[in-house]
Amino acid sequence: MKVFDNLKKNHYYKIWFKDAWPYLTGAVLLSVFQIITLATTGNPWGVSGVLANWGAWLYQAVGGTVDKWYYFASEGAQRTLENGFLKDPGTMRNLGIILGALFSALIASGFKIKKIKSWKQVVAAILGGLLMGYGARIGFGCNIGALYSGIASLSLSGWVYGAFLFIGAIIGSKLLVKYFM
Amino acid sequence: MKEVELDCLGEACPVPLVKAQKKIEELEVGDVLIVQIDHSCAMKNLPEWAREAGHNVEIEEIDDGEWEVIIEKVK
Amino acid sequence: MSDTNISENQDGAAQNSSIRRSSRTRSRKPKKNQIPYGIASFAAIVIVGLLLLRVSPTLGLFWYVGNCFGFILQKTRFCFTAAMRDPYLTGGTSLTKAVLVAFAVTSLGFIAIKYGAFAKGLPIPGQSFVVPISLATCAGGFMFGIGMVIAGGCASGTLMRVGEGFIMQILALFFFVVGSLWGAHDFGWWKLNVIMKGKPVFMPDIFGWLGAIMIQLLIIAFLWIAADKWARRKQES
Repeated sequence: MKVFDNLKKNHYYKIWFKDAWPYLTGAVLLSVFQIITLATTGNPWGVSGVLANWGAWLYQAVGGTVDKWYYFASEGAQRTLENGFLKDPGTMRNLGIILGALFSALIASGFKIKKIKSWKQVVAAILGGLLMGYGARIGFGCNIGALYSGIASLSLSGWVYGAFLFIGAIIGSKLLVKYFM
Repeated sequence: MKEVELDCLGEACPVPLVKAQKKIEELEVGDVLIVQIDHSCAMKNLPEWAREAGHNVEIEEIDDGEWEVIIEKVK
Repeated sequence: MSDTNISENQDGAAQNSSIRRSSRTRSRKPKKNQIPYGIASFAAIVIVGLLLLRVSPTLGLFWYVGNCFGFILQKTRFCFTAAMRDPYLTGGTSLTKAVLVAFAVTSLGFIAIKYGAFAKGLPIPGQSFVVPISLATCAGGFMFGIGMVIAGGCASGTLMRVGEGFIMQILALFFFVVGSLWGAHDFGWWKLNVIMKGKPVFMPDIFGWLGAIMIQLLIIAFLWIAADKWARRKQES
C-alpha cells in the first residue's frame, strides 16, 4: 500500500524506527526502565529466575513434581507455581521482551527467519543454553539479574559475578573459535 | 582491485565480524570485501570496526533483515 | 560513534557509492514492506496488555515494561554478551563502555530509591538481589560466561533474538530452561555446601550511602578508561 511505502521515506520514521539507535542511548533507556521497574515493582529487572519456573511448569506438564525441591520450597515459590504460567508477571515480562524485539524488527522492515545453518550451531545452542541455565541458578541470576541488577543494587556479588563472567566469556570465545565457527 | 565476497548469512553473533577481520588481512589495499549478513548486531559492529580500522565502509540493505557490508581496504 | 549510513533508493541500489564495485552480485528481489506487520504487532502488544491489566495491574505492567526492554535492546543492538566477549575476541569495547554507563546511571537511580526508603524508615526495595558471595557466585558467573558466548546471546539477548527470528536462539532458550531446572534441582546442594559459607555484602553497609555510590562510580570510571585504552591499543596493533 502506498501509505506504507511513503512512510518509509519519512524522516521521523527513519530516525526513530528504521535506523539502529546508538549504544549509549540504549544504556540510558535501559537504565530508565530498570529504575521504573525497581520503583514500581519493588525489585530490579530479572530474566533467568522466570526460566526456572518455566522449567518447573514444563516438568509438571509431563508428570514430574518439584514439590520436594529446596529451590521451590518457599511460600513465594509455591504460590507462583500454583498460580501458573499465565498469571506470572515475570513470564509476561519475558514474553514482552520477545514481542517488543519482534515489533522493533518488523517496524524497521528488518525481520527475517534465520534457520539453523549447521550441526555446530545445534551443539552450541544446547551446550550454551544448559550452561547459562545452570550457571544462572547457582549464581543467583543471569547477565541481567546477577550482573546488571546486582551491580546496580550495590551488591558486591554483582562485581564478583561480573569478574567471573568475563573470564568465562574468554574461555567461551576460545571454544567458539576452535569448535563452533 | 579484487572483490571478495564473504557469505555470513545465518551465522551467530560474533562470527561475521571475526571472519571479516581475518579475511581482510588476506586482501591488498584497494581490494573490496563484501560481507553478506542477516544478523542485526553485525550490521552495527562490522561497519564500526571497519571504520575505526580506517577503511571505507558502506552498508546496503539487500532485503528485509539482510545487508551487505562493503569494505574497501585502505591500509 | 555508531551511525551507520545506509544509502539506498527505492529498489535498494546504493546511491552515491564511493566504493567502486562490479554490478550487483546478488539479484535484487523487491523488498516486502513489513511496516503493516509492525503496526499489527504493536496493536497486538497494546491489546494483550489491556487484557492483562484486567486480570491484574501487575501483569499488565510487567508486560508493557518487558516490551519496552525488548524494543530498546533490539533497536540499539545492545548486547551484554558482546560487552564481555569483544574485548578479547575482536578488540572492540564500545558495548563494554555502554554497559558500564548503564551500570552507572542505574546505580544512581537505585541508590536514590533505596536511600529514600531507608531515610523514611521503610523497608528497602530490591534487597533480595543482594545475594551471598560464595564459590557458587564464581562458578555460576563462569558457567554463564562460557554459555552465553557459545550460544550467541545472554538471557536478555536470547529472548531478543527469538523475537528477531533466530531459530538457533529458540533452541538455546529451550535448553536454558532445561539447564535452569537442573540448576534448581541441584540448588539445595549448592546452598548447603557452598552458598551458606558466604555472605551478602550491601556496599552502603560498609562504606555508607555516599561512600558506596562514590566507590561504585569510581570503579566504573576506572573500568571505562581501561576499556577505552584497550580498544585504542588494539587498533594500533
